Amino acid sequence: MMKSMLPALLVVLLVSGGGVNAEPVVVVNAASAVRQLSKDEVVNIFLGRYRRLPNGETAIPIDQPESSALRSDFYRKLVNKDLNEINAYWARLIFSGRTSPPVQAASAAEVTTLLVGSVSSVAYLDRSQADNRFRIVLEFPP
Amino acid sequence: MGALAAMSLSCPSLSWSLGDAAVPEMPGISLHGFGTLGVTRSNNETAEFIRDLSQSRGAGTQWTAKVDSLIGLQANIHFSSSTEAVLQTVSRHHANESYQPELAWAFLRHDFSPDLSLRRGRSGTEFYMLGDSRQVGYSNLSVRPPPDFYGSLVFSYIDGLDVSATQPVAAGLLKGKLFAGRSPEKSSFAPGISWDLQGSTLVGGYLDYLRGPWQVRLGHAQVRFKNESPIDTLLQANGDPLSGVPYLSLVPEMAMAQRRAQFSSIGVVYDQGPLNVQFMLNQIKHDSPAYTDSKAGYLQAAYRFGAVTPYLGVSRSLSDVEALPTSVIPGVDAITQSLVSHSFVDQHTYTLGGRWDFEKNLALKAQVDWVRGTPMSVFLLKNTLPGWDGNMTVLSLALDFVF
Repeated sequence: MMKSMLPALLVVLLVSGGGVNAEPVVVVNAASAVRQLSKDEVVNIFLGRYRRLPNGETAIPIDQPESSALRSDFYRKLVNKDLNEINAYWARLIFSGRTSPPVQAASAAEVTTLLVGSVSSVAYLDRSQADNRFRIVLEFPP
Repeated sequence: MGALAAMSLSCPSLSWSLGDAAVPEMPGISLHGFGTLGVTRSNNETAEFIRDLSQSRGAGTQWTAKVDSLIGLQANIHFSSSTEAVLQTVSRHHANESYQPELAWAFLRHDFSPDLSLRRGRSGTEFYMLGDSRQVGYSNLSVRPPPDFYGSLVFSYIDGLDVSATQPVAAGLLKGKLFAGRSPEKSSFAPGISWDLQGSTLVGGYLDYLRGPWQVRLGHAQVRFKNESPIDTLLQANGDPLSGVPYLSLVPEMAMAQRRAQFSSIGVVYDQGPLNVQFMLNQIKHDSPAYTDSKAGYLQAAYRFGAVTPYLGVSRSLSDVEALPTSVIPGVDAITQSLVSHSFVDQHTYTLGGRWDFEKNLALKAQVDWVRGTPMSVFLLKNTLPGWDGNMTVLSLALDFVF
C-alpha cells in the first residue's frame, strides 16, 4: 500500500515544487511593437508611476491572482518587496485618489486571455507558459 | 471570451480590488475602506498628546482611542479607463470633539495621457510628501506620521483643482504637480473654540524626481486666511481682560485675515527592498506675528524581517524667536506674548516601534515616543497646565486595516 502510493506522492511533490520555483518573465502580446522593456520601465508600469510604453501607447499591466506564487516571485525579483508591502503601497495610492493598480486577473488562464486580447497589455507569466503568442520583454537574472 | 476580455480591459475597475475579501461591486464602481483602531496614553498629566492641531483633545495618562482611531470609506466610479470619480468619507475625532463623518475627497479625475492628469473637486492636501495619505495608517510604517513634522498642518483637504505631469528624465521620472483651491474646513483654536478656515485660498506645487530606490521632492504651498482667528472669543472666555474691547483694534499687526502662511519642504525617501529611510525638512513662515515661524524635520529608518518591521526615528520642531508688536496700553503686551506663546515649539521626539503584518490587509503596531522639549514648547499639544516641563513619554498600539 505504502509502496504503491509513493510514486504518486513524489509526482505531487514535484508538481507543487515546480509551482513554488516558478520563473516569472515579463511578456507582451506577440503583435506588440515593443521588443524589450528595462527593469525600471516595468517598475514604472506595475507600480503605476508611468504607464507609457516605448512605442507611445498606454501600458495596461495585468496582475496574477494574489494567491499565486508567481506573483510574489515577480514582485520579489522586481523590487525585492513582499506582497504585504505592495498592498500597503497600493493602499497609499488608492486612498489618495491616484493611479489604479494593475488589472486583477481571476486566474492564470485569464492573464493569458487578457494578453491575447490586447496589444498594450503587459503581464508576467511562468517561463513555461510564454509560448509563441507572447514576446518576452524582460527576464530576471536567476 | 473575447468580449469579456475587452470589457475588463476597458473597465479595469471590474476586477481590481485590494484583497480577496468580497467587495461589493457594480459595473464601474468599486468600494474600499481603511481604518485604524488605536489606543494611546502618556505619562504626563500636564498636557495632552495630539496627532495634529485639528484635534481639540488628546491623550493624557489614561488610554484613549481618540488620537488615532478613524475609519474611511471610498467609492471609485470609473467612467472610462481614463476618467474616474472618487468619493471618500472619513470619520475621526476632530475639531468639534465628535466623530461626525466628513466628506474628505470628492473629485473627478481625467488622465489626458500617461503624462498628464487633471483633478477637479475636493481632494487631500499635499503640502508635504506622504501628506495626502497621513490618515491611511496601513500605508504608513509608523502609527502616525511624526507630529513634529505633520502636526501643525490643519488643512486636510481643499476644494479646487490640480494638474500633474510626468516626464522621463535621465533614467528617472520627473513629476510635477500644481494645485489651487479653497479650504472648506474648521480647525480647533482652543478648547470649545474653533477657527473657521472656510474660504481661505491654498495654492502650491511640488517637483518629484524618482530614480531607482530614490525619491526626492521639493514642495511649496501657501495659504491666505480668509477669516480672522477667534482671538476675542478666546480672551472673553478667559476673564475678558480687555472688557470687550476688540484686541485687534489695539494690535492690528496680529491680524490673520488676508495674511499668508508659506510652507516649504524637501523630502527624500530611499526604499530598497526591506530597507526604508525617510528624511524631510520643512519651514513655515507666517506674514502675521500671531503665529511663530518654524522649522521641522524628521528622519525615520525601518528594516523588514519577514512580517515584522521595526523602525526608529527622530524628529524636531523649533519656532523662530521674533520681535512682537507692542502697544502703549498697559497689559496688552502681556496678552500679545501669551497669544503668540501658544504657537511656540522647541522639542525633539525619539520614536521606536514595530509593525507586524500578521494577516493580509491587517497590521498591528506598537510604538513609544519620547518627547523632549522645553517647558515653553506647547504648540503641538493641547490643554497644557502649569507644571508642564516639556517631557512626555507616549505609548501607542494600533491595528490598521484596509478592505
